[in-house]
Amino acid sequence: MSEYSPTILQGQQTNDDEILAKTPLDAKALGGDSSVVIMELLQRFKVRDVMKRQVIGIPRKATMREAQRILRENRISGLPVSEDGRLYGIISVNDIINGLDRGWMEDTVDMHMASNLVVLEAGMPISFALRYFNNYTYGRFPVLDSNRKLVGIISQRDVMRALLYELSVEIRKLERKTADKVSAPPPQSETRFFRREWAVVHNDLTGAGRAANEIKGILREKKVDRSIARRIAVAAYELEINICIHSHGGVLVLVISDNAVTITAKDRGPGIPDIEWACRDGTSTANDWIRSLGFGAGMGLSNSKRVSDFFEIESEVGKFTKVTCAFNLKKLEDPAAGGAK
Amino acid sequence: MTIADVVKILDGKLMAGDGTSPRVVGAVVANDLMSDVLLTDADDVLLLTSLASDQAIRTAHIVGAVGVVIHNAKPLSETMINVANDLGIPLVSSPLSKYDACVKMHDAFMAEERG
Repeated sequence: MSEYSPTILQGQQTNDDEILAKTPLDAKALGGDSSVVIMELLQRFKVRDVMKRQVIGIPRKATMREAQRILRENRISGLPVSEDGRLYGIISVNDIINGLDRGWMEDTVDMHMASNLVVLEAGMPISFALRYFNNYTYGRFPVLDSNRKLVGIISQRDVMRALLYELSVEIRKLERKTADKVSAPPPQSETRFFRREWAVVHNDLTGAGRAANEIKGILREKKVDRSIARRIAVAAYELEINICIHSHGGVLVLVISDNAVTITAKDRGPGIPDIEWACRDGTSTANDWIRSLGFGAGMGLSNSKRVSDFFEIESEVGKFTKVTCAFNLKKLEDPAAGGAK
Repeated sequence: MTIADVVKILDGKLMAGDGTSPRVVGAVVANDLMSDVLLTDADDVLLLTSLASDQAIRTAHIVGAVGVVIHNAKPLSETMINVANDLGIPLVSSPLSKYDACVKMHDAFMAEERG
């Protein structure tokens, strides 16, 4: 019987964001009504940020007994069967138990490994990992890069540890902000002021539009004129879809004051190199998948501008895009002062 | 013409929402591009589309549509039906093609005008 040393695969940092374009998000996995902070954390953190990069693997022709030894020595319950970074299967403790029971321990692992695998991609947000742990009973998933090369392994414990740490950081920030606000005077002199924001997740076309639908409901509750509310909702919807399909994610903010409603969409990049071009009807960088879902015809910004009384767009390539649409709630005495429509 | 009439005219089946809504259809928008639908100024529209996704329902809600008809009896996902129920948008599945559905709606409007 030959002795095999465990194969240690050193993970690589790769940019796998293109994977997301092929994989729609399930909003339920993002926590549905979770706070903006949590939604952003789940989206910002990628599998590659959390996974273990040192993966203990075993070649296909190793015996089941070798696999048993490696599992025992490393106190792990699953062992990727891999060669030169390529993943062929997984041998678990259950397979070893079956092997002991049925006398398969001198067989090679490729005869008994699970080869129909569920894997995660390194560039996926952590929300995907949570969904996978929820949908499948596996305790860990192998992680592949965009070249289908095994680069890591991720367990529920890895996810929980990372999230707890980041949540404690965010909570400390919020506590500091709250303490600052207690001593500050109220900033608003308006008699009516309402502000709410929604996190918008990249490529989450299942949930995209939810914020705009909620905005329309809020405007109805606040008794905003029906035709103005419709214009505001159209802008909110187009901007929400834009964040979803073109950006790395961002927020949609609704502010209602006595005289105006403002919708602000701010994302975390990639920014717009040519704003004038992007605002033209029919110009879009959307792919076929987005078009198949009823969007991506290059009308988002122009539609938003068309319905707004004031429209402004700022962008810095590689950093952010911020679009502001404002709507007058009261008729202006001087028509010349009526916005930049 | 209410959503109940639309169900009959298009040989459809109500899949979500209130089929007894008294709202009257003011115009029909037949389109699969949601940005186009958002451009319409018409009130009380009936959206006729082959886009069997949540976005068709969300768009209908934004423009205050009377209802949504999905033609060619396309299969509707559970989430789409749930979104339609949540937003109170009647959702109808029709076996007709988009062209045939448009023709039938046109004929029905003409008959209504003639009284």
